[in-house]
Amino acid sequence: MTVTAPAPAPASESVVPPARRKRRYTADQVSAGRVAWRMAAGLVVLLVFILPYTIMFFGSVKTKPEIRSVNPTYFPTEWHWENYITMWSTPETPLPQNLISTIVIAVCATLLVLLVALPAAYYTARFRFPGRMVFLFLVIVTQMLQPAVLTSGLFRQFITLGISDTWLAMILVNAAFNLSFAVWIMHSFFAGVPREVDEAAQIDGAGRVAVLFRINLPLVWPGIVTAIVFTFVACWNEFAASLVILSTAGNQPLSVALTKFVGQYETSWQYVFGVSVVAIIPVVVLFMLIEKRLVGGLTAGSVK
Amino acid sequence: MNKSVRWGAALTVAALASVSLAACGFGGGNAQSTSGGATTLNLLVPSYSDNTQKLWDTVISGFEKKYPDITVKLEVQSWDNLNDVVTTKIQANQAPDIMNGGPFAGFAADGLLYPIKDVVSSKTLGDFQKSFVEVSSVDGVQYGAPLIASARALFVNTDLMQQAGITEAPKTWDDLLADAKKISALGNGIAGYGMPLGSEEAQAESAMWFYGNGGTFGDEKKITVDGNAKNLEAAQFMQKMVTEGATEADAGATDRSPLMDIFVQGKVGMQVGLPPTVGQIKTGNPALKYEIVPMPTSDGKPVSLGVADHLMAFKNDGSKKDAITKFLDYYYTPDVYVPWVKTEGFLPTTKSGAEQLNSDEALKPFLDLLPSAVFYPNTNPKWDATNAAFKSLMGQIAQGKAPADVLKEIQAQADAG
Amino acid sequence: MSSTVETSSTTDGAATSRPVRGAGGTESRPRRGAGTTGKDLLHALPWIGPALILIFGVVLYPAVVMFYNSTRHISLSGLDQGSVGLDNYVAVFSFPYFWPILGRTVVWVVAVVALTVLISLGLAQLLDKAFPGRQLVRLAVIIPWAASVVMTTLVVYYGLEPYFGIINTFLVDLGLVSTPEGYGWTKHADTAFAWSIVVAVFVSLPFTTYTILAGLQTIPAEGLEAAKMDGAGPARTYFGIVLPQLRGALSVAILINIINVFNSLPILKTMTGSIPGYDADTVMTLIFKYIQNQHRIDVASALSVVAFLIVLVIVAVYVRAVKPMKEV
Repeated sequence: MTVTAPAPAPASESVVPPARRKRRYTADQVSAGRVAWRMAAGLVVLLVFILPYTIMFFGSVKTKPEIRSVNPTYFPTEWHWENYITMWSTPETPLPQNLISTIVIAVCATLLVLLVALPAAYYTARFRFPGRMVFLFLVIVTQMLQPAVLTSGLFRQFITLGISDTWLAMILVNAAFNLSFAVWIMHSFFAGVPREVDEAAQIDGAGRVAVLFRINLPLVWPGIVTAIVFTFVACWNEFAASLVILSTAGNQPLSVALTKFVGQYETSWQYVFGVSVVAIIPVVVLFMLIEKRLVGGLTAGSVK
Repeated sequence: MNKSVRWGAALTVAALASVSLAACGFGGGNAQSTSGGATTLNLLVPSYSDNTQKLWDTVISGFEKKYPDITVKLEVQSWDNLNDVVTTKIQANQAPDIMNGGPFAGFAADGLLYPIKDVVSSKTLGDFQKSFVEVSSVDGVQYGAPLIASARALFVNTDLMQQAGITEAPKTWDDLLADAKKISALGNGIAGYGMPLGSEEAQAESAMWFYGNGGTFGDEKKITVDGNAKNLEAAQFMQKMVTEGATEADAGATDRSPLMDIFVQGKVGMQVGLPPTVGQIKTGNPALKYEIVPMPTSDGKPVSLGVADHLMAFKNDGSKKDAITKFLDYYYTPDVYVPWVKTEGFLPTTKSGAEQLNSDEALKPFLDLLPSAVFYPNTNPKWDATNAAFKSLMGQIAQGKAPADVLKEIQAQADAG
Repeated sequence: MSSTVETSSTTDGAATSRPVRGAGGTESRPRRGAGTTGKDLLHALPWIGPALILIFGVVLYPAVVMFYNSTRHISLSGLDQGSVGLDNYVAVFSFPYFWPILGRTVVWVVAVVALTVLISLGLAQLLDKAFPGRQLVRLAVIIPWAASVVMTTLVVYYGLEPYFGIINTFLVDLGLVSTPEGYGWTKHADTAFAWSIVVAVFVSLPFTTYTILAGLQTIPAEGLEAAKMDGAGPARTYFGIVLPQLRGALSVAILINIINVFNSLPILKTMTGSIPGYDADTVMTLIFKYIQNQHRIDVASALSVVAFLIVLVIVAVYVRAVKPMKEV
């Protein structure tokens, strides 16, 4: 149970006590019937979860009149793939710029949250200090405020600071309002790591930062991944503050851009649906990448 | 994973984060820049259709070519968000310089607006049609530059009329009720009369009925929804339409736009529409056979609901008066204004515009109705609250609540606003 | 490098079992007993300071503005016209539909959170088991999270519309709805509210399921195997071993869900938006109606403060009872 600094062996393997080794499933442990049952259940879950988005996707390749047809068909009568091309150059909104804005804001805000929340979550889970509980509660209080009435104060604040209508403003807003859940999620996972793990490392002369990065992080990967996805998704879809703070069309994220297709008496639903489909893809891709990390993080801790 | 690799990854993430944060800070946005000498006009407009942004872009580029020292910064918002955005801006002393909107009495009452005569030339001022000047004024001072107008009329599906054995469009309420019931009886999801009392525009549908019985929402000074026998009669008749099955199902929660889509596709016999509806039918279902007639009234004498939207000029620090004047004068020149109004499919508010568009086939039925049009009392500061109360309460008459109680509730909310 | 054993009170779970602190490394400081609490805070600052700066820097001012606005009279166009004391609060509480709306809000939160947690527990179990195609199912479960809530709601809303809606068409084709144009699910307060709960649960499932799934990964296999050898059935294993281990992840997930669901606006706004009256409203949609329809920022602020205090109390009670911030 010691960490020898130059050891090339995976850190997690050497510090994880046997009791924390992960379960591994092997096909031979379960009967074929049970696997079939799981697959059936999995299929039902799959279908239920993609159903609304299938409707969304079908809508995105329909013509404007067909979407509002009173005799709806289950499948589009004609597939207008060109909607996915024309939506990038509509007069209503500069969609390519909106996509870039969304990416920049969401990525920067998520990184900022991670930078700020990770140390706070780790420290509050590991160390005792006066005001610890107050801090944790204060953090969560930010989530209880109603976004709808906060926007005017936020707007005024950023006007005063001279950064209204900038990405920076929205990065700060998103980071600040999503900090709390990230702190809490990661806190709960750090708290689940047995203290002996830290102690063992510290006895071996590892510094506190090293203990956090080398010892704890690999163990709480699932929690960090959850926090990252949670934060990223929230930033990606933020609407209320962006609406008032970002007034230049090119700075606005996709969530605001979508509303530009809504006219007084008619709406270009095919674009609304198309943009929504496009907006889902990066998040799903992010998740695919990160899910591998999640699985990787888990298997790293297992001993064969 | 190797420890050093992990450390490296952590450092990379940290570095990446700080770099991108820095990039974000400097890369993002062109904040309210005030470049030397030049004036920037902030123009906040709602989206009428998918043409709106393009139309304004054209106006602005023409204007900026003529006045190179003035830049116009356009912000288009959906109608849903327009009010939210402008109140937030006003709270932060960042009102737009020019805004396109509906009610302006609240802004005028707070002293935020220039009187229109201060920001247009006398030529432009004299070109506004008289009836619109009246509805743009509070206490005799005109604060809104009327932008577009609409009148409402009954769109009648003549195919369905024929199938139901009706030869002539109804002129009175009793005819309307009888005809609508006949059309409803065709079955197959067909509704006789489309009555959209959902939150979208319940006030407009109500106005058509109230005005059609000689009722009123009130005037500049006082909101009188309740306590007017004509209003109550109208509301009772509306309820009768619903209970006798002359309308679509769930009339109280049906919004106007989706119902109009259903009309366009031939499943509603009659529904109140406005000028842009003509364009919607053209794109949505050009095969639809329909006619446009005045809305039936209790006594058969035509009345219409008129609505005018306005441009208003905010004072802010008072430094942009000249630039605003130049912009408004430019906008209202017929060469700029007429194509704008025509493309959006509304009625013009200027005399010169009306002359050019009088011959327009699609607009004619509405232009004919304009003289009989009654407007919302939107110069009354309580109108906003009244409007909101209609939207959220009026539909209840279609759910069986006593009309007298509903009108009382609306009045109470209006008074409280 | 030295390390000292700290004596600490027993009230604090996460910290009490910590006998050693700051041993070794550049950051370590020798400890001199329990009396140096101020120093403890000082040590904590580099770790929690950035979070505090971000929160106070961004959130404090708008929050203060909200409280301030709730005591002012604000004109329709947004101008502050002076103090009105607590009049806005009087307006909130004297609104005849306030109490039914508050009751409905409680139903909303309890129903959505309870259903979400129950379904998520089952889903997480399934996704934790090995079967071909599991990764695909996991990906599908993430989609409602990736998609914006507004869009998911809009799609369901249009599916449910009479005439246009594909869900209505499907129900008509199945013969479950007799009118050819479908049924107005979103036009009746009760059905619209019920569907809103369905949508809210649907969009809350991914996060909750994944939090539980992540929690499941941290359960040691040995305990499960031991239980198996003792002859414990799946139910006893689940309730005796798995569920207690999930406590940390689950309690935080529930807390986050409570707050999110209470504050959720877009679902109800869309699903019940066209319904007249206040029979399908929650506190959130009422705030929205004050802002959007009546342009009463002052009353909306007062109601927001009330809503804030309600959540605060709920969360305080929850935190006290469940202690989600403590060690598992």
